[in-house]
Amino acid sequence: MREITARRGPEGIFFALFRGNRMTEVKDENTRHSDPFEPFRGLRDSYLNAMSKTMVEAVNTETYAQATGAMLDYCLSASAPFRDVLEKSMAQALQQLSLPSRQEVATLAERFTNMEMRLDDLDAKLDRVLSVMAAPRDEGIKPKPRRARQGGKRG
Amino acid sequence: MQSTASMTEQSLALQRRLSTFTRVLSTKAPIARTPKELVWTLNKAKLYRYTPLMPAPQRHRIPLLLVFAIMNRPYILDLRPGHSFVEFMVSHGYDVYLLDWGCPGIEDKGTKLDDYAMEYLPRAIRKMKAVSGSDIFSMLGWCIGAILTTIYAALRPEEGLRNLLLLTAPLDFSNRNHVTFAKWTDEKYFDIEKILDAFGNMPAEMIDYGARVLKPVDNYITNYCKLWDNLENPRAVDAWHAMNTWVTDNIPMAGAAYRQLIVELYRKNALIQNQLHIKNQRVDLSKIQANLLTVIAEGDHITPPCQSEAILRQVSSIDKEVYRIPGGHIGIMAGSAAHRTTWPHIEHWLSSRSR
Repeated sequence: MREITARRGPEGIFFALFRGNRMTEVKDENTRHSDPFEPFRGLRDSYLNAMSKTMVEAVNTETYAQATGAMLDYCLSASAPFRDVLEKSMAQALQQLSLPSRQEVATLAERFTNMEMRLDDLDAKLDRVLSVMAAPRDEGIKPKPRRARQGGKRG
Repeated sequence: MQSTASMTEQSLALQRRLSTFTRVLSTKAPIARTPKELVWTLNKAKLYRYTPLMPAPQRHRIPLLLVFAIMNRPYILDLRPGHSFVEFMVSHGYDVYLLDWGCPGIEDKGTKLDDYAMEYLPRAIRKMKAVSGSDIFSMLGWCIGAILTTIYAALRPEEGLRNLLLLTAPLDFSNRNHVTFAKWTDEKYFDIEKILDAFGNMPAEMIDYGARVLKPVDNYITNYCKLWDNLENPRAVDAWHAMNTWVTDNIPMAGAAYRQLIVELYRKNALIQNQLHIKNQRVDLSKIQANLLTVIAEGDHITPPCQSEAILRQVSSIDKEVYRIPGGHIGIMAGSAAHRTTWPHIEHWLSSRSR
């Protein structure tokens, strides 16, 4: 097994985009001053780098996982009764209007998918049959040798 | 007067910067422009063949199928003209196909990894063989696409797969301390059934949030600062715009597939232990015989390197290679240096194995 390691600086999704596209250091005076944040860039970058490392460590803890899970669980539990009521009232309304429910449409779509799979399989079988039928013609079919008749000719 | 003129010029320059900033954030970039044709569809899945640039005798004999994750758009592989992996491979004489899984609806909530790997993928491969005229093929799986291609390679080793390329493949979940997602989705904290009961499929917004919160400051603040800093660089702006278009174009994940991913892989680590069952068959990684290239991003915070290493000890492939490169989960293939590092390495590795 071979192992190869490429060497270049670490980069993230967006940082990689700018790695080869850094702005030139020589800028037009007016252009530089069009960015009101220019004087604070160094301070900003230092602060963001420090915060980034802190936050990456923070989200990688069991405490964060527990807190996120608890919040998600609370939101889902709190919204569940409203979702149930909405679903039931919607189902009743659709029934009154003689319209299909979302579940009925989804079931129909599933059946369409199964039919599509069968058609795809049929299509593939047809392709194979056609290719098999085409192959002997390309090779040239040799005529079968005629069997000698017994009892002489007719007539 | 000079001061006034200077101030006016500065105001206009600032106005241009603000205009560019707003435009980039509120519009979609022109992406996925490499010419292609649709050759096969099934439900939401589509198989595209990219228009070859070279005549058949000059092309590599073995076609290449690209398989990306099921909860992101696959055009990350064909991001923008002049910076597209697909474009690169087509220009090097490969017959390239891309499998777009599509966007699952509520009717697809029961679609499992079994269906993706053993219903959709084999059918797409069958069509690719018919269109290309080759029974032998290469397959590149990236992220969850690597899980699906690995499953296929293990269950269908005799169906023509010559070369298997796995990019940032999340296959081994044993080192939970390094896999942040494994902590977040632990059964003590994450009630997956409650989520899937509520939504059917795993919502795109939640998947996106999860990916961004791995590096919250970078993804929610620093990236926009970098855009602001480079607004006068059109190439940098175009690159940022294209990437942002893809990053914000998330799709939901089929509920049953998501359940398998979390329970069978993240929690039980069944795949690397050869205990994963797909379509009532046990996935035995030792059945994989294809030539194998594993690309590992050393700075990957979504799929840490430890998740992609064990596969090399499991497969029966004689020809196998691991390629480690500094960079992130997406950056190694879509970053500005990808065309100088990752892409040429993949092409060079495939070239001698595609004859």
